[in-house]
Amino acid sequence: MSLPPTESDWQIRQVIYARLVATGCAPDIRDIAARFGLRPAQAQAALQRLHDAHALVLADDGAVLMAHPLAAVQTDYRARIAGRWLYANCAWDSLGIPAMLGADAQIEALHPLTRQPIRFAISGGQLVGAAGGLVHFAQPFRHWYDDIVET
Amino acid sequence: MLFRSDEEITSWLQRTCQNRGAVLSLQRLWALAKSWYADRMSPAFRGRTTDEAQAIFRQLNLTGEFWGDARS
Repeated sequence: MSLPPTESDWQIRQVIYARLVATGCAPDIRDIAARFGLRPAQAQAALQRLHDAHALVLADDGAVLMAHPLAAVQTDYRARIAGRWLYANCAWDSLGIPAMLGADAQIEALHPLTRQPIRFAISGGQLVGAAGGLVHFAQPFRHWYDDIVET
Repeated sequence: MLFRSDEEITSWLQRTCQNRGAVLSLQRLWALAKSWYADRMSPAFRGRTTDEAQAIFRQLNLTGEFWGDARS
């Protein structure tokens, strides 16, 4: 049975989000350990608690893969905010980035059939472009965390 | 996944041997994104319970079994 995140774990999560927004990259386990005065194993345990609580998603190697709506790797979905491309985990998350940051954004999503970019934007809090765009959710809510990468 | 039409969704589902799930307009997805993610970087964020998630869905009229609505 997994333990819930501690207050310190939630602070680690804040640092991960801030780094992802600032650089597009997640801090690695050594960065986190050094920042919080932890041993790497302690830092990894903190990330695991956050993963178990669905507060972020770890890759098989223990690195941060997703901090929803942000992706720590390049994906088919990205939002450009303040001159920087930030990658999202899905179409929903590409809109989640400007929603989370309260910022305007240019968004690109690669079309699943043609691989051509579909472009739209958030401007002044309004969705602009991609009229008629539709998003398909494959998994019902109760299964979202069975396999979050496929969801 | 984002498509330009419902015909494209049907084509994708046939190509990938998947069943149809739920389809939302991009405009509705923007509304969901704002409700779902606005507080995600708040220092007070501590995750979201199933009940809290379903309350967001209901506010946006996302009801039915797909959205976990036990009343459907």
